[in-house]
Amino acid sequence: MSSRYNVGDRVTIREQFSIFYTRTQAYTRGRMGTVVQQFETGLIPEDEAYGNEDGRVEPFYKVRFRQADLWPEYSFPADTLETEFSESWLLPAREEP
Amino acid sequence: MSADHDHDHTPITASEEVSEFEILEVALRELAIERGLFSAEDHRRFKEWAESREPAGGSRLVAKAWVDPDFKARLLSDATAACPEVGIDWNQPTGEGTPSDYTFFHVLENTPEVHNVIVCTLCSCYPRPVLGMSPEWYRTPNYRRRIVRWPREVLAEFGLSISPETEIRVHDSNQKSRFMVMPMRPEGTEGWTEEQLAAIVTRDTMIGVALPDPNWTAAAAPSGAG
Repeated sequence: MSSRYNVGDRVTIREQFSIFYTRTQAYTRGRMGTVVQQFETGLIPEDEAYGNEDGRVEPFYKVRFRQADLWPEYSFPADTLETEFSESWLLPAREEP
Repeated sequence: MSADHDHDHTPITASEEVSEFEILEVALRELAIERGLFSAEDHRRFKEWAESREPAGGSRLVAKAWVDPDFKARLLSDATAACPEVGIDWNQPTGEGTPSDYTFFHVLENTPEVHNVIVCTLCSCYPRPVLGMSPEWYRTPNYRRRIVRWPREVLAEFGLSISPETEIRVHDSNQKSRFMVMPMRPEGTEGWTEEQLAAIVTRDTMIGVALPDPNWTAAAAPSGAG
């Protein structure tokens, strides 16, 4: 499976409804960040959690967020946060406001 | 009350509720033992071994990187491959890892511009093959939910104040990667041996809640202790 996103791409985390296991933190959903690293493809947690070894395999990415984009009251503009997502959690970034 | 035990005392009772996860763990372990997958003693030995792992492996990685620029470059580009150079095998659980550590390993370099700190908001993901078991506070909801949102305030509670011009970069290890911080080598350590340097690279400096101090080692006793 080839990677849809490259390092430097702006992405938005999906706000998809989920009731089962995801490993995608609520605080990142709907937020915009930048891909800083690509990882090999792997079994996604939604399937891995249930021992479904033949489940869906996707590329993984590390995304960097400006803290001010995650928390409205955040007052140190230089600060950032990085965390990982499987590809299906990412969308091309919406237009900057 | 027996003849040789005639004083009154409060009976010892369990002080905390047992969680659902603890019950699940015990049930699964007992089934595995009954099935003969491993013995109770195998389990005890594994726990004893896993809990005896120390942050010394990470300290050796950092100290070697401080004195050897080529090693530092290898460590930052492929930490898993660089680990064996200090006697750590990230991939083999019977070496210095545990099965849940079958993950990528990355070392995060602190610079004058960026200070890194690690957390796992989902649970307690931690680079155990190089740092051993995580400290108790690392696993608490208090640290996990606050360090991602108020990192400067939480670091200040650890006694660490970072300049507002420095970028604080929080790494929430939620998936396939585990991270360790490589702190900057402090002034006052010129000419030190790798062994001397490793001694000041304490656990907390590799989590990112402290900075190495030439006058402080993990073995030093805080004043007032003891």
